[in-house]
Amino acid sequence: MSTTLNIAKREFRSYFDSPVAYVVICLSLFGLGGVFFNYNGGFWQANRASLEQLFVQIPRALSWIVIPVVTMRLIAEEKRSGTLEMLITLPVKDSEVILGKFLGAWGLVLVLLGATIVYPALMFGAPWNLGALDSGPVAAGYLGLALYSAAAVAIGLFISALTESQIIAFFVTFVVLFFLHVLGAGAVLSMLPQRAEYVLTFISFDSRLASFMRGLVNTRDVVYFLSITFGSLIGAFWALERRKWN
Amino acid sequence: MIEATGLTKVYGAYRALDRVSFEVRKGEVVGFLGPNGAGKSTTMRILTCYNSASGGSAKVHGYDVFDEPLAVREKIGYLPQRAQMYGEMSVKEYLRFVADVRGIDDASFNKRMRNIVEVCGLGTVLGKDIRQLSHGYRQRVGLGQALIHNPPILILDEPTSDLDPNEKAEVLEYIKEIGKDRTVILSTHNLGEVEESCARAIIISKGRVVADGAIDEVRARGGRVRYQLLVDEKAALRGTAPSNEEVSAALGAIAGVLSVKELPTDDRAHGFTLLGNKSTDLRGEIFKLCVEKGWLLLEMRRDIQKLEDVFKSLTKGDEAADRLRTAAPADEDDEPADEDEDDDVEDEAGEDASDDDDASDDKADSKDED
Repeated sequence: MSTTLNIAKREFRSYFDSPVAYVVICLSLFGLGGVFFNYNGGFWQANRASLEQLFVQIPRALSWIVIPVVTMRLIAEEKRSGTLEMLITLPVKDSEVILGKFLGAWGLVLVLLGATIVYPALMFGAPWNLGALDSGPVAAGYLGLALYSAAAVAIGLFISALTESQIIAFFVTFVVLFFLHVLGAGAVLSMLPQRAEYVLTFISFDSRLASFMRGLVNTRDVVYFLSITFGSLIGAFWALERRKWN
Repeated sequence: MIEATGLTKVYGAYRALDRVSFEVRKGEVVGFLGPNGAGKSTTMRILTCYNSASGGSAKVHGYDVFDEPLAVREKIGYLPQRAQMYGEMSVKEYLRFVADVRGIDDASFNKRMRNIVEVCGLGTVLGKDIRQLSHGYRQRVGLGQALIHNPPILILDEPTSDLDPNEKAEVLEYIKEIGKDRTVILSTHNLGEVEESCARAIIISKGRVVADGAIDEVRARGGRVRYQLLVDEKAALRGTAPSNEEVSAALGAIAGVLSVKELPTDDRAHGFTLLGNKSTDLRGEIFKLCVEKGWLLLEMRRDIQKLEDVFKSLTKGDEAADRLRTAAPADEDDEPADEDEDDDVEDEAGEDASDDDDASDDKADSKDED
């Protein structure tokens, strides 16, 4: 376990050794703020002490920019530059490498998520006291975001393990996550027959996250995100093992 | 310490390793030699459990590389070819990271660090980011990380490739120092390095071991002796100075001379390299000939064939065999003969075995093959 944590720690720190972490966190917070208050009428029009907008927009910001950027280099870059050989020939298990990298990247995303707590703290606490916030949906929403981001990071990691090119990893991850979001959108669903609609709703990130936003922690949704996480991690493990036979 | 038995590695239809067997005993420093693409890196990657063999088995320090990879990796320090490390980390941070992953505590880390900084000469760069270091320093850091846990076995894959001559000499010096109390296996295609730093050589070509033994033994395998001589071009004891052709023809006529090759010299002397069998000493005959003809013999030198010559004859013959094999309608090996599995492409310029002044390869091709 300590090996896994060492790898995770190094991975996490390496984001802060380059501008990646700072740029990603700052831009995301600025972007989110703008969208939250202005997009689609924004917060003021809704006239409710709710963070719903935030929970709708965060996953999209994460999936379409942050997570592809954060995960693209995880394995792909190590393979391309050759550092992977150095890492793997230390006494580490392949599973520890995968898990360590996953934790490092997920850690960064969680830091970013944690930073968004600034919004409710400032708005509904000091200094602005905009009203009494219903804390249940907020807590459930953050739990949903944490689970969702684990799944999305695991998918990104898996894709990064399949290629040596960061660019390919970025785009494939982007496309996969994009579709996992839009699959559940009303416009897409209305074009399809009932049965397909059911299937798409079942695998869509958006529809899975919706219940968390309303304050509902549904075991089915939790299991869904956990299954995707584990499945992708196993996929990444398998992709890393593949080098032995190629 | 290291025991490989019938290692085979197949990439698709390409056979990178073909039943490679060898043994490295405790305390030996062994040079693992071969041209680019011969299978050196593949072998090392199997020994370090990075890749798996398609067939055969290998044991390192008594542990099987397939069944107990973690135990194997604990016992070895490995420096991959063109060692790549995380550029954004400082040297100290990187070494600390490697030590953490290897489970070394602070006290022993500090102790080891002192030793490594001294042995690898890292004192001045500890705080620098790895990406700012010159190639030579990076290689030293690579050596440092391989030594951090004081391993009994070191596996070094082309530790001197891409280094300039000064850096090369330094790294070799470090390896010699390190090898005093460890088992070291180091791969290279530079024969001078092996002669300098190893007691034993294993030569591998096209995935097969073609020679294995003490350097002198391997060198003697050619079974030939080389003579180099200079004859004065301007003056003679008697009569006129000889012409190049005259000397060359007379030398070729001596019984026991296998080949005569002219050496590039200035306009004062004719230079030649002769090749003879090890069993007969030709120096007397050559001297007699010069006295008879009245030539001024300026210099004569006899040396046992260089490792380079043996290497050339062994690996060149093998390539010829390989060409024949691909020409035949064989069912395996439809890759081009020079297919290179371990990305050595940039090293081609480093194939430095070809510019030597020897005469061996003309005749050696088809002989000592096995």
